[in-house]
Parts: sequence; structure tokens; C-alpha cells
Amino acid sequence: MDKKLERILPRVQKPARYIGGELNSVVKDKEKIGLRYAFCFPDSYEIGMSHLGIKILYAIANSREDTWCERVFAPWPDMEEQMRQNGILLYGLESGDPIRDFDMIGFTLQYELCYTNVLNMLDLAGLPVFAKDRTALSPIVMGGGPCVCNPEPIAPFFDLFSLGDGEEVNNELMDLYLEHKKRGSDKQAFLADAAKIPGVYVPSLYNVSYHADGTVGAVTPAGGAPETVTKRVVRDLDKVAYPESFVVPFIDVVHDRVTHEIFRGCIRGCRFCQACFLNRPIREKSPETINEQCKVLCRNTGYDEISLCSLSSSDYSRIEELLNLLLDWTPQEKINVALPSLRVDNFSDELLQKLKKVRRSGLTFAPEAGTQRLRDVINKNVTEEEMLKTANIAFSGGYCAVKLYFMLGLPTETDEDVEGIGLLAKKVVDAFYTNPDRPAGRGVQVSISASSFVPKPFTPFQWEPQATAEELQEKQQHLKETLPSRKISVSFHDIETSCLEGVFARGDRRLADVIYRAWKQGCTFDSWGDFFKYDVWMRCFADAGLDPAFYANRRRAFSEVLPWDHLNYGVSRRYLEREAQKAMRAETTPNCKQGCAGCGANKLNGGHCDV
Amino acid sequence: MYDLRLWLSKKGSLKYVSHLDMFRLMQRAVRRAGIPLWYTEGFNPHPYISFLLALSLGIEGEGEPVDLRIVGEMTPEEVRERLNAVLPRGLSVVAAAPPQDKPAAIAFGRYDVYLDPAQISGAELQDVLAGGGLTCQKSGKSGHKKIMKTVDVSAQLREWQIEEKDGSLLLHVVLPAGSTVNLNPLQLLEAVSEKRGAPVYACSAVRTALLKADGKEFR
Repeated sequence: MDKKLERILPRVQKPARYIGGELNSVVKDKEKIGLRYAFCFPDSYEIGMSHLGIKILYAIANSREDTWCERVFAPWPDMEEQMRQNGILLYGLESGDPIRDFDMIGFTLQYELCYTNVLNMLDLAGLPVFAKDRTALSPIVMGGGPCVCNPEPIAPFFDLFSLGDGEEVNNELMDLYLEHKKRGSDKQAFLADAAKIPGVYVPSLYNVSYHADGTVGAVTPAGGAPETVTKRVVRDLDKVAYPESFVVPFIDVVHDRVTHEIFRGCIRGCRFCQACFLNRPIREKSPETINEQCKVLCRNTGYDEISLCSLSSSDYSRIEELLNLLLDWTPQEKINVALPSLRVDNFSDELLQKLKKVRRSGLTFAPEAGTQRLRDVINKNVTEEEMLKTANIAFSGGYCAVKLYFMLGLPTETDEDVEGIGLLAKKVVDAFYTNPDRPAGRGVQVSISASSFVPKPFTPFQWEPQATAEELQEKQQHLKETLPSRKISVSFHDIETSCLEGVFARGDRRLADVIYRAWKQGCTFDSWGDFFKYDVWMRCFADAGLDPAFYANRRRAFSEVLPWDHLNYGVSRRYLEREAQKAMRAETTPNCKQGCAGCGANKLNGGHCDV
Repeated sequence: MYDLRLWLSKKGSLKYVSHLDMFRLMQRAVRRAGIPLWYTEGFNPHPYISFLLALSLGIEGEGEPVDLRIVGEMTPEEVRERLNAVLPRGLSVVAAAPPQDKPAAIAFGRYDVYLDPAQISGAELQDVLAGGGLTCQKSGKSGHKKIMKTVDVSAQLREWQIEEKDGSLLLHVVLPAGSTVNLNPLQLLEAVSEKRGAPVYACSAVRTALLKADGKEFR
């Protein structure tokens, strides 16, 4: 280990975040490597190491003989201070080498409030933060993940973005890079060619003009870049590469287990949910593949827990078959199977019996809204009756704690809808006490978690104004005051961070100036309450001459050019408009299994959808 | 079924992996190695693995004892080999044998501490250690409240030796270790730094052995 590093590690919290060397981490002979890739997660080690995407793309890159992919996380502020004082540049965990000298640096952008960390990591690496100031071919700085569906606020910091599933396009980009490196070409030549790869968006090749009122006039491509960039879709999840091992962290991370994605996309079409629309069309992995891959992963990691993940696990068409396969071998190996993201309307007694064989944890429902009317607006097709029925099945099965997730500030929300949250929770409490099979001698605990709704691109609510901080404050207060039972507790998501998230989610390129200013004034780790500096952010908006309300709290017309209109995620704008109009009439749309609503995403998969 | 005591060597950057994290690491390693362990029989069964004594963050170990309860016939030698095949770099089982002493018999730790002669000379170190009056601050509890306690280091310091060769400075020291009194060499250096009014950092520190009250090696 580097001497300087050796000296500072005893002075920081959790030094094991910074040492690498974990089981299954990949070390290669750098003399034999043509391309060095730094996979960066712009948040703490504990968060980043919980992310499945990084594990998949790490394994794919390292399966190439010509490539060595390393992991990089945002150093915690105490470590950052020590690094800056002692002149240590941001390094890859596997080699300890500065990533400044790498060929490609890839950031996964999972949430908007990580943007200042991206700038900070580039700076800690000793690189200019603006793409235009990094003139050499290497390193190429790229971004992927859900936030790149509207990467405009951070476009000036990146060379390119990769839209959609990364498994295939990353390989194509690496091949192209190696070709250009061999040829000794410059960055512009590489980017011009990269823009021809489907799914690759090179923001510097697009010119954005604005109307006098601040809205986008047009986005014009140059240099042969396509008019619209369409996201990439992996067609067959059974054939696409999946890791045979995960890096097993030394320290406790948020999700420290075998995680397995059972399908991509979601049939539900809840109108607030960006993940649903960004990941369509639906593609399922077969139970046999999942089972085999889980076996190999457990063997190679020593984990004693498998978590099956997806956006709505009980919608997986062969769920019982899969559980049968898994429960055939996991109990004797003392491995737990967890199945998060279950729906209340298709949570059967049989499924519960199967889940009881594995360790019991709490039960969480996400009704999202307090009244049926508002649930119809957001197309969360769950009725109170179904919810109480499921709660009763669970209570009979021995559960006594229920968590309920709601959102405040949804379109058309009234005081009555807010009060409905407490009333619904009360009905769950009553269901417990009227259930003759409830666990004897125990009370019930219902905890409400209320977050703030943030309208996101590529959802039917992308034109909606976000509730202001004052409005959200009033709604939270109203909910607290109208809670009808002491068995119910409520917790809220911080309002100010939601407001900032709302600005960047639907922002345009001019916001890069605000992000740059905020970072310069010391903003990092904005998603961590301890470090979030709302007043500094507001000052930066003022200094940049931009109004956050213009981005967050304004109703947009269908006729407006949205900053992300030149990007295509499969779901058509016409479909989203149709859904937006139905929402205003509180009209629901059946899920994809009941009937195709014509979102258009199946075009990306040769007209096919696994429903 | 029998009890087996492993002796682990924990070197290099593994010294930054905490006691709690070591337990989890070991739990996964025995699974990967396919070692049949006895599971506790409570509501939440877990394999029986016991690290006898914590090793402070930042200190390496040459022989740290860990007790396992093996079900079936697997020999100590096979357990050792299987584990060594799956442990991360920096960690290895140097010996495996049935326990001889009870865990409570641990009374002292023997350490090698490498110092930078540019920071302190051997003669000065000798004077400070022999001079008495060394104290350091340790976090402790009073009821539920966290407080800082002042520890009399000199009272616990009995045996040391200073070795100087080829421009390096090596302190061999025996310090109390076990379930009641504990002092680690980094705390000793803090006390030394405090006394002389200038910092002394360890280039590295290694626990080389655990001793019983009579000074014999714990086995």
C-alpha cells in the first residue's frame, strides 16, 4: 500500500472503505491491459457496494482480457480532507493507481442529488470538471443509470452518456475506444464515432437554443449525430452475461447479500413511477437460469441470503415455480430467500406460506395515496379491500408490524386525500384487532412513511408542477394533526432535498452552472441530511440568475419542447400525454397483463414483451 | 463434534478490518470452504464462531485465536487447508488444533511496534517509558453515558525492550490484554506523544502472541 495512504488511514472513519482487496475483487497484470476502466459510484462505499448494476458491469468488463475495471466510491468528507492535505489523488480500489491515468471513467447516476459528488470525484482525481477542458483522448468520462434519461443539467461535465441497459453497449464503446487508441486519434474523432453507436448520447454534439421565456426552443444535432438517441435494451436476460461472483465487502454495507434481478420493467404503469417507464419492455429471466445463477453466487461468496429483486416481484409470471426451485436447496444450506416489492393484490396465501419458510421480516405496503380517487389518478390499482385482505392474511400468519408508504404532493391532492392516509392506516390497525387469528398477546404497529412526490421525465406526470416547499410543509403538518390512532407512527422525507431533486430531474443544460457553483462552495453528499446546504444552493441559483420554481413548480404545456425530448426510452410521448389526460379524469389504465395500453416500448424489442 | 482453535495471521491492509467485520468474514469463509459447523439452536440459528480477543483497528496479528465447533469428522488439517483456499489476501490460518487453555486465561499481548527513528531515538523512548507518569485518554461508559477516562499507562507497563538496527527502531512490549484490562500499543504511543509533547506514530504494529498470567504462551 502507498506510504502516504498508510499514514492517513488510521485517522479516518472506517478505513476498510479505502483498502480494496475484498474477496473476489479482480486484480490483473497492468502490463497486459489495453484499457483501464474506473467504475465510479458517486456516493459512499456502503451505498455503492449495494448496487447491483455495478456488480454486473464490473464482471462484464473484467471478463475481457484487454480490460481491467476497478471500483471507485466517493471518499467520505474526513477522507477527502486527508487526501487533499496529503496530495493523494483519487485511486481505483483494486490497483491503488490514480484514475486520472485511466482510459475510461464511468459514473452510474442513480439519483439527482449525487451530482456534486461527480464533480468532486473528478476534482479529487486531478481532472478538470468540465468536459471541454479535458482535451486528451483519455480519460473519457461517461455516465449511465436512470438519471441519464435527462442528463442535461450535468451534460457539460460528461463526454458521453449511455442510455438504457449497459451490458452490451459498454463492450461496443470499449472496442471502439481501443481502436481509436491504437490509431492515436483524438477525443473529437472518438466521440463522433461513439455517437453512431445506438444508445450513446454525446451532449457536446447537440446545440440547445432557448425561447425568451426560458423554455427550450430546439435541440439540434451536429457532426452526423442522430436527431434522437434511443436507449439500449437487452433482449434476452437468459443469455446476457451475469456475474458468477460478487465482490464481498469487509464492512457492513446496505445490501450485503446475493441480489438477483428476476425481470426488467414493470406491467403496472403507476403514473408517478419513473422506473416503470424507463425499464420497459418487460423481459423475464427463466426460473432455471435464476436458480442456477443463485447457486453459483452463493457458493462463490458465502452469502447466506438471496434477495430476488425487480420492480414488483409478485408480477413475475413463474414466481411459484422459482420459489420451489430455490426452496429445494436453500433451507438445508441455511440460506434465506427474501422477496421484496410484493404487490398487495396478488399476494396469495400460498405465497405467504412459502415465504414463512424463510426468515420473517416486516411487511411493507405501498398504497402511495390515501383515497381511492387519488390512487386512481396515479393509477396505483390497489383497493382498500385488497389491502386489508392482505393485511389480514399477514396478521393470521404472525406478522404484527406493517409499514405503509405514501407520497404527499401528488397531482390533484386535496386535504381529504391527506386525511385519508391516517384513516387507511387506522383501518389496518382495526383489522389487526378484529382478526381472531392474530398473534396472541401482541400489539400492532403501523408506521407510515410519507415522501414528497417529485415529477420525473418519461412519466405521465412530466408536465405537472411539483408542490412547493410551503405546500409540502402544510401537508405534512395536516397529516400529523389528523392521525387517528396512537398505534400509528409517521415519518417524513426531508422537503428541501425533494425540492432540489425536482429541479434537476426536469432541468436543462443551464443548471450546470448552478451545480458547479454549489460544488465550488463546498456542497457534496447532498443526499445526506448532515451535509445538505439548502441555503447555499438557493444562493447559487440566484447567482446564476436561474429560478428553481421555473423548473420544479411550473405546469408545462404538451406543446413545450422538453429538455429530454431528443432522447427516446421506448414509451411514446403520445402515450404519456394520453395517460396524463386520463389521470386528470381519475381514470385508470389496466396493467399490461390485462391488456396492452400501447406504450410503444415493445418496438425496442422487436415488438415483443414478456407479459 | 469437536472444538477447534484456529490461529489466524492478519496482515497488510486487513488490519483495517474491524473485529465485528472479521466475524462476518469468517462466517462466509467457512460457508465457501464447506466446513460443517455446529449451528446454535435459538430462534435465529448461526454458526458457532468465536474470536477470543479483539485486535484493535490498525494492528496486525500473527496468531489470533478463533474457536469453531466442527460437526463430523473433518480433520484440523483439512479445515486449515480448505479455509486458506478461500480467505482473502492478507488473512490465513497458520495453525489449527484443539484448544488447550480457556479463553479467560488470556492476560497479556506481546507486540512488535516499528517506529520512525527520525521521530524519536531509542534512548529517548527508553527514558520516556522508564520515567513513569504516562497517561492516555480512553473512551468508556458511566452508566449509559459515554465519557473519556484517563488511564494510567505506566502502571500497566512492565516489560519492554528496544532494538535499533539498520536505521530502524523496534519496540517489543507486553501489555495487558483480555476481558478485564486492555491496552494497545497505539494507546501507549499516544501516552508517549503526550508526555514528550511531540507525536510518535507507529509505522506498523503487530501482535505476535498472547500470554497467560504466568507469562507462558496461551494455546
